[in-house]
Amino acid sequence: MANIIDTTNYDFDAIVVGSGISGGWAAKELTEKGLNVLVLDRGKPLEHSVDYTGEHAPDWKFPFQGKKPRELYKEEYPIQSRVSHSFNEANRHFWNNDKDNPYVNDPDKPFMWARADVVGGRSLLWGRQTYRFSEQDFKANATDGHGIPWPVEYDDIAPWYSYVEKFIGVNGRNEGLPQLPDGEFQKPMPWYALEETIGERLKKKMPNVTLTNGRAAILTEDLPGRSACHYCGPCPRGCSTGSYFSSQSSTLPAAKATGRMTVVANALVDRLEHDPETGKISAVHVIDTQTRERRSYSARVFFLCASTVATTQVLMNSTSAVFPNGLANSNGVLGKYMMDHPLGTMNLGVFLDDMDSYYSGRRPTGLYIPRFRNVGEQDQDADFLRGYGYQTFVARLDWSARFNSKGFGSKLKNDLRKPGQWLWALAYFSECLPSESNQMKLSNKVDRFGIPQVAFDFTWGKNELAIRADAEKQADSIMKAAGAVLSLPASEGMSMPGEGIHEMGTARMGDDPNQAVLNKYNQAHDVANLFVTDGSFMTSSSCVNPSLTYMAFTARAVDYAVKQLAEGHI
Amino acid sequence: MNRREFLQCAAIMVSGLTASQLGIALTEEQRVYLASAPNYNTTDVDYLSEEQRQILAAMCEVIIPKSDSPGAIDAGVPHFIELMAADWFSDEERGIFDAGMADIEQRIPQEYGNRFDLLPPSDQLEILEALEEDASDHPWYEFGNVQRDFISDAPFICQLKELTIWGFFTSERGSKEALRYNPMPMTFDGNIPLGPNDSSWAGGF
Repeated sequence: MANIIDTTNYDFDAIVVGSGISGGWAAKELTEKGLNVLVLDRGKPLEHSVDYTGEHAPDWKFPFQGKKPRELYKEEYPIQSRVSHSFNEANRHFWNNDKDNPYVNDPDKPFMWARADVVGGRSLLWGRQTYRFSEQDFKANATDGHGIPWPVEYDDIAPWYSYVEKFIGVNGRNEGLPQLPDGEFQKPMPWYALEETIGERLKKKMPNVTLTNGRAAILTEDLPGRSACHYCGPCPRGCSTGSYFSSQSSTLPAAKATGRMTVVANALVDRLEHDPETGKISAVHVIDTQTRERRSYSARVFFLCASTVATTQVLMNSTSAVFPNGLANSNGVLGKYMMDHPLGTMNLGVFLDDMDSYYSGRRPTGLYIPRFRNVGEQDQDADFLRGYGYQTFVARLDWSARFNSKGFGSKLKNDLRKPGQWLWALAYFSECLPSESNQMKLSNKVDRFGIPQVAFDFTWGKNELAIRADAEKQADSIMKAAGAVLSLPASEGMSMPGEGIHEMGTARMGDDPNQAVLNKYNQAHDVANLFVTDGSFMTSSSCVNPSLTYMAFTARAVDYAVKQLAEGHI
Repeated sequence: MNRREFLQCAAIMVSGLTASQLGIALTEEQRVYLASAPNYNTTDVDYLSEEQRQILAAMCEVIIPKSDSPGAIDAGVPHFIELMAADWFSDEERGIFDAGMADIEQRIPQEYGNRFDLLPPSDQLEILEALEEDASDHPWYEFGNVQRDFISDAPFICQLKELTIWGFFTSERGSKEALRYNPMPMTFDGNIPLGPNDSSWAGGF
């Protein structure tokens, strides 16, 4: 490759902005194909393993033995601390400080923007759920007319799904369902006795519902340099054995091993520079977040992988005479058609089954109920388009759910130290239709570096509300069929936009340059050497977690970009 | 969702109360490598008088007594509560705590003829049960009301119970001797026998 790409006039062959789920993959693929790559991240440097300072810390090592430092969270992390499944003192250093890095959050239309602030990004903090989009997902926009058609079919991306799954390591069970394609899985994690009980009942009473393993990017078999899960439990503290996939444990080490990767942390990308003579990006301008020093780097090709909102912010801030409304935005759709997955715990069931069965080890994923509504054809009784799935969790109540009990003494102590009832929870994740009115913009306010702050204008539509209502109704039926002695209904209302942490779609892909920012290879229609492979490119959202799709499209985009470079088209 | 959040969330879904958001910031010393950090409960504190310490210890031990496993005093709970009162409480919470301590200090000798910690166990239990009876209508006791950071206007007895139970089951001895502790299980088995006296696993994060 070195003889194909003349780097004489460039600092690097390629520059990747962001080092998370997609940036890590861009770095790995580009370097493995022979390119010299610069990876920029606005976050702090982080060393795999060494900087996982909260890993395996017992309760008594925590400040206040784990009671939250409330005022600190309120003042400095009011947004990030809402990510209750993973934000705590064990990993607070992975997260963005909201006070230092504000965005405009309209109280009438709140949007929750969860951000990491370290090299490795949100790949350190994600839920690790790893699902393929189905053929029906890729056809949905063309079928019902919402959004624009995907320029890619399932068969185009399936080999890339396989390629990514084999490298990151996904445990799961093949089920042969068209709406949730099977993949290249490591052996599935075992089930709780209660899950086996529930599974048997559902098979008999609701055969249209499948209960299967949550497919998670956590090893059950060793891979080179990474060990099978040791079932300690709290993954988002960082995993020094690399048992769960993060760019820190997997893609960045692979890229580093080529000797062709340079990582610069604390490098906030201000804007990209477009050269009107060549029609290409010529440089990226960065601000060192510690010294405020400004620098620029040049390259032949640029991959934006900064996460949906941050990537689109960079494009919007990169105005020029050719692109007065933002880079690669000649059609004006940049920032529009934003999506996120509505989610929420729909139902909690209390069970009296398997009371003399317990568990050993903390399984870091639950079971999954794939979409079962509007599969193939639209269901007659469904007043909504598309669908949803449930992530399910089993837990046995302990003292932390009962510390407000009445009473004193040995009886209280003995009650609290023993396990209570089994619970089974259903949390729905729903598809969100692409809508032009859901968007992000740049505001008039600037941050501490003088960069315009992001603002959001995002509300759930009628279809998202209708899906939620159906998910609530079906959850009740599932809970009854599962044999819950008590079925507690959902918390009220929709999740806050952004709370799904699956923001996507602000630089969507499509064949029509008048309607899409990117072509089917994640390449900007307007700018040949610009690729965007984080969630920005998503044209529809499906109802499954999107990270695997970002990784597969990233690997595919790099393959295309390098061929284009070799043929002299870029 | 982590386990503790999940379990607490399970309970909050039927109550709907929101969290209070008051407290204090972490010191630099507290931002250390947690797994190799000192036990939080070894931190020095000088908030209570010696007499108050004796009274507080006795009250904690009534809530979680020593039995075939350690009690609140064995687990260092009184020191934990003194640390929390000094460093973690909001002004409002600290005011309730101080008034509660003062009440026990002054009222009990008048009513029972001796300091709380010097009374027989039956009197100690009676005193705390009376406090609980007076507080029993407070939302602190509502079913499922555990998914919050703290309830700032909770009565003294509720503060005491919450911090005693929290402090005990997150302490080293409480985790290892009253509960079961295994940070590195290596395998997952979802179906092992549970005996009638077997306890839960410690470590909810």
